[in-house]
Amino acid sequence: MSSEGGVQYSKIAEIKGPLVIVDDVSNAAFDELVEIETGEGERRLGKVLEVGNGKAIVQVFEGTTGLSISGTNAKFVGKVMEMPVSREVLGRVFDGLGRPKDGLPDPIADKFIDINGEPMNPEQRQYPKDFIQTGISVIDGMITLVRGQKLPIFSGSGMSHNLVAAQIARQASVVGTQDDFAVVFAAIGVQYSEAEYFRRSLEESGALKRSVLFLNTADDPAIERIITPRVALTVAEYLAFELGMHVLVILTDMTNYAEALREISAAREEVPGRKGYPGYLYTDLSTIYERAGKLNGRKGSVTQVPILSMPSDDITHPIPDLTGYITEGQVVLGRDLFRQGVYPPVNILMSLSRLMKDGIGEGSTRADHGEVSNQVYDAYSRAQEVRALAGIVGKAGLTEIDLKYMDVGDVFEKEFLSQATDENRTIEETLGILWRIISKLPKNEITKIKDKYVDQYYKEQ
Amino acid sequence: MASNSSLEQAIDKILEKTEKKILLDLENANSAAKQTLEDALPKIEQEYDQIISNGKKEADKIEKQITGSSDLEARNKQLTLVEESIDKVFTKALDEIANADRSGDYTNLIKSFMDESTKTLGTTEVLVFTNNKDKDIVQSLISQYPGAEVSSETIECLGGVKVKSKDGAMTFDNTIDAKIERLKPLIRKDIATQFGVVN
Repeated sequence: MSSEGGVQYSKIAEIKGPLVIVDDVSNAAFDELVEIETGEGERRLGKVLEVGNGKAIVQVFEGTTGLSISGTNAKFVGKVMEMPVSREVLGRVFDGLGRPKDGLPDPIADKFIDINGEPMNPEQRQYPKDFIQTGISVIDGMITLVRGQKLPIFSGSGMSHNLVAAQIARQASVVGTQDDFAVVFAAIGVQYSEAEYFRRSLEESGALKRSVLFLNTADDPAIERIITPRVALTVAEYLAFELGMHVLVILTDMTNYAEALREISAAREEVPGRKGYPGYLYTDLSTIYERAGKLNGRKGSVTQVPILSMPSDDITHPIPDLTGYITEGQVVLGRDLFRQGVYPPVNILMSLSRLMKDGIGEGSTRADHGEVSNQVYDAYSRAQEVRALAGIVGKAGLTEIDLKYMDVGDVFEKEFLSQATDENRTIEETLGILWRIISKLPKNEITKIKDKYVDQYYKEQ
Repeated sequence: MASNSSLEQAIDKILEKTEKKILLDLENANSAAKQTLEDALPKIEQEYDQIISNGKKEADKIEKQITGSSDLEARNKQLTLVEESIDKVFTKALDEIANADRSGDYTNLIKSFMDESTKTLGTTEVLVFTNNKDKDIVQSLISQYPGAEVSSETIECLGGVKVKSKDGAMTFDNTIDAKIERLKPLIRKDIATQFGVVN
């Protein structure tokens, strides 16, 4: 931060949606922070989107409601938006723009960091391969999350993604190391009750101490949502790469972020892309998702779990579609399982963690992890086929082995998938359940696991 | 009599047979009970271990909750206290600045503020606003800036100048108050460091 102040301009040419167009501007810079002052002395923040021909287009984070052309001033601050960071941010609750929301003073900053972050040097990136235990069996056992990975959760309107997000935030830990672990939680456009749930949930579980919360609620201006993931990731990068912590960033709900982006794009009269989202949605999302990883020579890591609700449960919608191109797998929540009352309703057949193979096995989780997981995946897939068949020919028309697979499917959903929201299972417990499920099948059906593991863990039932 | 004795014999036989059967049943029941007990033992032990492990998990969870919230509470109290102290230091410093001697280097300071302001706005065709205390100093410097005028209006500030282009389109606030406001986060850190709160 410099002592230089900015020039205040009072010629407002136009106010359009969340944008203010300022006339006769010289020396403004792209992304520069702008303070908009109303006639009544109220101050709002914004940033420069475009400059040229003596005009500057300013995007006002808190919206332009109540602003008028006369009496409004725009002060160009001379710097980009920065987030004050220090270890003291842990245990704090901020709003979507990074201002304290817990009644406590601003954190005493160790540094002020540009919220747009610095791109990670691809050559410096370290391949993620260390296991993160979430305590949720289906994730740890079959869609394993590793440090430095970006693994989104694709959900649908009204489903239990927020419960999953809060449970991951409360329970997540790194096993087999004494390194510090932190959670940065960014709620983007969530309802007040949900924001309160996240805060209380972390507070009551004692996890708030190692967490930083950014809460942008549904009644906050939509444009603020553009900033929320960026301030959250700025803090995460500081904790990870300056303080050497392993940081898990949970961003929920990225659909609200994309909608805010669409709002700005429409106000700027840009040519719309699919479903009205801007053509640069992919590029923009990548500026968020790519801020995850590990760097050579640095101790910490940033792991991202962005959560997005798919409009009409449509996985081909531009938001999940483009997210899927950037991230390393996905956890998909299934409507059918949700309707059956299964929590967490993870549809494992549509879910995948691309980095799982590198984060599990001997030295990370257990040597048999990959094989038992594959076998259960295979068995559950077969169970689904058998269920479909039973729907046509009836249970009486099924063979004995088909019935066994059907049983495996039921047990998988009841004992493995289903879990209480406060149940924190260790990886050993999770693998134990997977073996109990597999043990329901005759030994000759187990084709994906080495004999030595079968001899060790299989208990015929 | 003979028929009585054979009847008794028959009854004895039945009794003996029944007794044997009952004894055998008892023995079987006893061994079945023993077996059930033996079978139940590992199950009980397993359940016992499960209860102990669940209890331990619950205890760990409660311990984390208690230590987590008390640590945070203590830290938050410390933050509030530090902030109160910082505010006190600020108030005292602002008082001292407001009552500072306006002679000597102060004129040079105001000149540097004026230079900076006109350079930032890119023109000397400006209207300069200041407070009552600094008005004379500004007035003495104004001739060095062609086209500049001192406003008859005064502004509330600790010192320094606020410069506005004559067409009213641009304003540059270069008062001491504005500078302090801009530097406040850094000054707060310095004060907190003095208190030994941050490194």
